[in-house]
Amino acid sequence: MLEHLAPQIVNGLMLGAFYASVAIGLSLIMNLTGVINMAHGSLLTLGGYFAFMLAAIGTPFAIVLIAAPILTALVGLAIERGLMRPLYGRDPLYSLLLTFGLSLIAEEVYRLIWGSNGVPVSAPAALQGGVSFGSFQVPTIQLFTAAVLVIAMSALWLFLNRTRFGLRLRAAVQDTEMIAALGTNTQVLYMVNFCLGVLLAGLAGVLAATQLGLNPTSGNALLMPAFVTVIVGGMGSLLGALAGGLLIGMTISLMTLFFPAASDVSMYVIMAVILLIRPRGLFGEEGLFG
Amino acid sequence: MLHRTISRKTVLKSAVAATTAFGIPAFLPRIGDAAAELAIGLVEPTTGIYATYGEYERAGIAMAVDEWNARGGVMGRKVVTVAEDDANDPGVGVQKARKLVQQDHCVALIGTINSGISLSVSGAANSLGVMFMDSGGHTDDVTGKNCNWNTFRVCHSTWMETHATGVDLAQRFGKKWYLITPDYAFGHSLYDGYVDVAKKLGVEIIANDLVPLTLTDFSPVLTKVQAAKPSLLIVLNQGDQFVNALKQASAFGIAKSTPIGGPQCELEAVEALPVEARVGFWGVEWYYDSPLSVGPAGTPGRKFAADYKKRYGKTASARSAFGYISMDRVLWSMAEAKSTDALKTCRALENSKFNSIFQGSAYFRKEDHQLMWPMLIGEIQPNGTPGDKDNLFKIIGSQPADKVEQTVAEKAKVCTITYPS
Repeated sequence: MLEHLAPQIVNGLMLGAFYASVAIGLSLIMNLTGVINMAHGSLLTLGGYFAFMLAAIGTPFAIVLIAAPILTALVGLAIERGLMRPLYGRDPLYSLLLTFGLSLIAEEVYRLIWGSNGVPVSAPAALQGGVSFGSFQVPTIQLFTAAVLVIAMSALWLFLNRTRFGLRLRAAVQDTEMIAALGTNTQVLYMVNFCLGVLLAGLAGVLAATQLGLNPTSGNALLMPAFVTVIVGGMGSLLGALAGGLLIGMTISLMTLFFPAASDVSMYVIMAVILLIRPRGLFGEEGLFG
Repeated sequence: MLHRTISRKTVLKSAVAATTAFGIPAFLPRIGDAAAELAIGLVEPTTGIYATYGEYERAGIAMAVDEWNARGGVMGRKVVTVAEDDANDPGVGVQKARKLVQQDHCVALIGTINSGISLSVSGAANSLGVMFMDSGGHTDDVTGKNCNWNTFRVCHSTWMETHATGVDLAQRFGKKWYLITPDYAFGHSLYDGYVDVAKKLGVEIIANDLVPLTLTDFSPVLTKVQAAKPSLLIVLNQGDQFVNALKQASAFGIAKSTPIGGPQCELEAVEALPVEARVGFWGVEWYYDSPLSVGPAGTPGRKFAADYKKRYGKTASARSAFGYISMDRVLWSMAEAKSTDALKTCRALENSKFNSIFQGSAYFRKEDHQLMWPMLIGEIQPNGTPGDKDNLFKIIGSQPADKVEQTVAEKAKVCTITYPS
């Protein structure tokens, strides 16, 4: 049994890292602004399409990995400035409906630009193939994704905990009115926070496009596991997103070993159990959404 | 007591609004009402994981409509189509089918990709009393245990696909198979087909992983495949799942170490794969560039492929052919019966041999309404051919329909077509 368990545990960790990379941006936006970003999947897809376009003109993957998320964040900036701003402070239902509508529009726009069929995206040659762990092999691109996640999370942690701007962001999560009264421009905080979330969506989009198909709806399929990851891990917690992702990834992977038909539903069972035992999630703060 | 005064302006505004809401629609022409028009309803996905296939089917349908209209329409009536999105949901498919018939006055329905929707729309069409031409839903049940007098199917049944490919795959790659199966009607019926092939050929199916239709990441399943070391990995998933499974099989190194194949592979899906993941031997239902499928130069199949490329700027796929053949046959049946009455048109289609955009003749079998036409086997050519990057299959074999479909006697055990009196 151990020879079957070991590869699934490693695979679960890789899968979990991937889900966590999708969930972090979602969690970040939700935490400060209360926006339940239903367009996160579409923005993730956009990151993939930017990577596809950049790769098509011969851009090295290292640059694609940086440029595509930045381009996605610029689109996020336009959304935040043009559409999102009037909805801050209102019932989360408004932003939920707005972002849901945006995701539908985005899907059609992608279809008009890149066609409804998928487009081929390869992992760079250096990341193709696998690394042998004795009796089994793990794709290099999955290990790379996990490494990128660790770097991105470390950078984000440093930004939030070791920079003045990051500290203001965290303070705004605790009490927006107080920090505004102390002279901080909260609109700038919101803007940076939203763009940072979208940047992370773009990064996840590039990583997803190298491993999965890329078409106008491909990001939406990753949205639900990302929401489950955020709920399980606890809203607004980086550690929670990581823990939630790993728990979900491990559950799906092990369930596939014994009962693959229930692999997808198993994450919802985990979510239900967590909500019953600890409604704020594993590392979430109590009463974040009132 | 609250007194409200209603100004003259308010009354005028209300009158204008009421006129707009209730009056103007009465002057708008309703689809299918004009005697000069013959409306055919299309139930196809325009959103979701099968949207691409729906697009290709609709493109083929439009080609057939234009050909018929250029010849003067059907019984002198111009043919028009009304398309609805089934949203990859059987319930939505039924709603749209009802809307197309009851509201838009469509006299026949064509379409569907998802087998679950094929079954639900077939049932709805039966209750509505109109012909339903299943262009692209493959599950056996459509022309098997759920068959009915008004449903016909153009694409091959899953039985045909598995029996056409099974023998070839066993000969090439041995008899220790690992199956990945989507957990819905289409996947189950493909699995049943391969179980039958396995019994006949002495193949051992060492594992069959049923995976949910919503599964995105196949790595847990592929980890199991790695450990099992089968002689052949059979992937039954289609659409986005096919792309994800093949792409990840390539990342795991399985695409190099283990032969991969299956009952069905769509050109659209191969186009969405990067070169390193374009591998395998697959069932193919129609192919634009093979003498085994469309015959030599100058045949209607070659002309269709050339016209399609000219019109849409892309290569015709099997889905395009399904759409074309479906619409062409529906309109032919009406012209032949000189009526749009479903009973008469269905009778006209049964056992009528015809030539179309494929090699040889075909017919809808009277006993189950399955189109009997050849099934192909192809090997993926990852880079296409010089001058044609879309030429992604090398067709290596063709199986006649009567050799790979269940016999009439076998079908009679599950399907009896009863006509309304």
